[in-house]
Amino acid sequence: MTSPDMVICRCEEVGLGKLLQTAAAHGCSARELKLRTRAGMGTCGGRSCRSLILAMLEESASQAPGHDMPLGCQPPVRPVSFSMLGGTE
Amino acid sequence: MDRRIQHHPVLGAIAPGKTLTFQYNGKPYTALHGDTVAAALLAHGVRQLRVHEESGSPRGFYCNIGHCYECRVTINNRPGVRACLTLVEADMEVFSGERLPAPLKHPKAKDSSEGRDSQLLQKGLREG
Amino acid sequence: MTDVLIVGAGPAGLSAALACREQGLSVRVVDEFYRPGGRLLGQLHEEPDGQWWNGLEEAAKLHDKALQAGVDIRCGVSVYNVAKADGNWQAFTTEGVCEVPALLLATGASETAVPVPGWTLPGVMSIGAAQVMTNVQRVRPGERGVVIGINVLSVAIARELQLAGIHVDRMVLPALSPVTSSAGHPEKVMESMLRVAHLAPSPLIRLGSRLVQSLGLQKRGIRFYPSGGIRMWGIPFQLRTAALEIVGTGQVEGVRIARISPEGVPVPGSEKIIPADFVCIAGGLSPLAELAAVAGCAFAYLPSLGGHVPLHNERMQTSLPGLYVAGNITGIESAKVAIAQGTVAGLSIAADLGKLREPEPLRHAMERVCLVRQQAAIQFHPDIALGRERLHQMYEQAQAM
Repeated sequence: MTSPDMVICRCEEVGLGKLLQTAAAHGCSARELKLRTRAGMGTCGGRSCRSLILAMLEESASQAPGHDMPLGCQPPVRPVSFSMLGGTE
Repeated sequence: MDRRIQHHPVLGAIAPGKTLTFQYNGKPYTALHGDTVAAALLAHGVRQLRVHEESGSPRGFYCNIGHCYECRVTINNRPGVRACLTLVEADMEVFSGERLPAPLKHPKAKDSSEGRDSQLLQKGLREG
Repeated sequence: MTDVLIVGAGPAGLSAALACREQGLSVRVVDEFYRPGGRLLGQLHEEPDGQWWNGLEEAAKLHDKALQAGVDIRCGVSVYNVAKADGNWQAFTTEGVCEVPALLLATGASETAVPVPGWTLPGVMSIGAAQVMTNVQRVRPGERGVVIGINVLSVAIARELQLAGIHVDRMVLPALSPVTSSAGHPEKVMESMLRVAHLAPSPLIRLGSRLVQSLGLQKRGIRFYPSGGIRMWGIPFQLRTAALEIVGTGQVEGVRIARISPEGVPVPGSEKIIPADFVCIAGGLSPLAELAAVAGCAFAYLPSLGGHVPLHNERMQTSLPGLYVAGNITGIESAKVAIAQGTVAGLSIAADLGKLREPEPLRHAMERVCLVRQQAAIQFHPDIALGRERLHQMYEQAQAM
């Protein structure tokens, strides 16, 4: 079935094709997939695509989700300006 | 066309409120007191709030509750503000986000200053 | 210094705030939405007794009580980090750092998408977005919409859209793909709808029992499901149709659909494009626990609760002293359960800060959570009680280590 590729990480516009290719080429974890493709590293902090990447790995690489939060979670969990982090306005 | 749900069989009529004016991309729009920027624009049939910064693909709000950041706009010179969480205020100036140049990723820009700049960048990268 | 900071002014957060105030604690609640009430605001459905559960009214009641009790509520404030500091918790917010002995995360849930190509077009929104735009902001999402994804949440919200006079053209499944899991598989969708429909007395059971009655489906299954769908509230539920792509220039103009086999495979030659100016994507809800993660909380993966859930006990304590959770962050349930959990969390915090004069109210509140759960009108998953048991087991195991 030929169907157009679709965006998985909306923030970085990483498509399903690219994710499947990268996962197949490197047999990698969700976190490594993030580092290789930038999926999950955009403005929303992975909030929108984390579960999609997990679902994709479960289905295509038979990787059952572990108990830890997938892709990791680093602060700040909202985009903040430098001035908010302690600089001057 | 009235895109507002004036009457609802359970929730009743919309409470009467003040009308405000604001600007989006330089054009004036009306809003009701209590509207978010996203809702006020949708009430006028405006769905596109920005484009993807690299691809230029059109984007509008998606989650409407501040999680996805798709609706980010520049309000009174502050960029990255979520239109779905921000109430319209009188004379607010809202601008949609635009495509940004990406000379390192897309060096094949046509004959333009962008093209010349990216060539110079390539030269700098080569020569160190 | 404030005694308690609560992140989230939804039903769990506001109820917890009230419970804390009643025990004499000073409480601040922050929420990044511009008004309090959380996702309760957009809810509107009929209870089994025929009464309307009106989220706007329920939220207003909670809000008024909280204000009268002296809760400090700050909306439009985002929390971007939390960290332990000298036995207290520091919450880093867009209005500065707040340091408290007790921190409650009541951040609710986020929606999981079932993407199809073209889903980034303006006019495509989550089903929750349509609910909020319709019931809270009172603006039509559009003139003619298609809902992609058939589950408890999308059925409930489609009904709400229809009630508000919005034209929902049809409900379909997403095309099968590695990211849509069983949402694109008609047989599995049918099974899951029937399982949920039989759980509790609810308007949703009408869908289940009508399906069962009209086709004797329990015996014959999805094979004989009519391709035009079965209508509920005037909306066709097309379990044997998939959305292959959302199309349009600059915004949604249509959806390319096709009939599908019981396993979700498109039938060749059945493709067509239907007009639409808005599309709702409905995949389900998942706990929004990023602050628990940055705090260093342990997690458990429990699909019956919606995904990754921070480990906690029935007193709403996480494994980190001074850190509590309540509401959908603990697992996806109804607003009533969130309210009951919030009350537990508030009393639990009071007990831990030495301010709970008697143990009775806390025990009673914990029992109330179980009672409310049993009476739930809408359950998102048939195995919630099992999921909770497993979660508490894992919490105990982790504590014992």
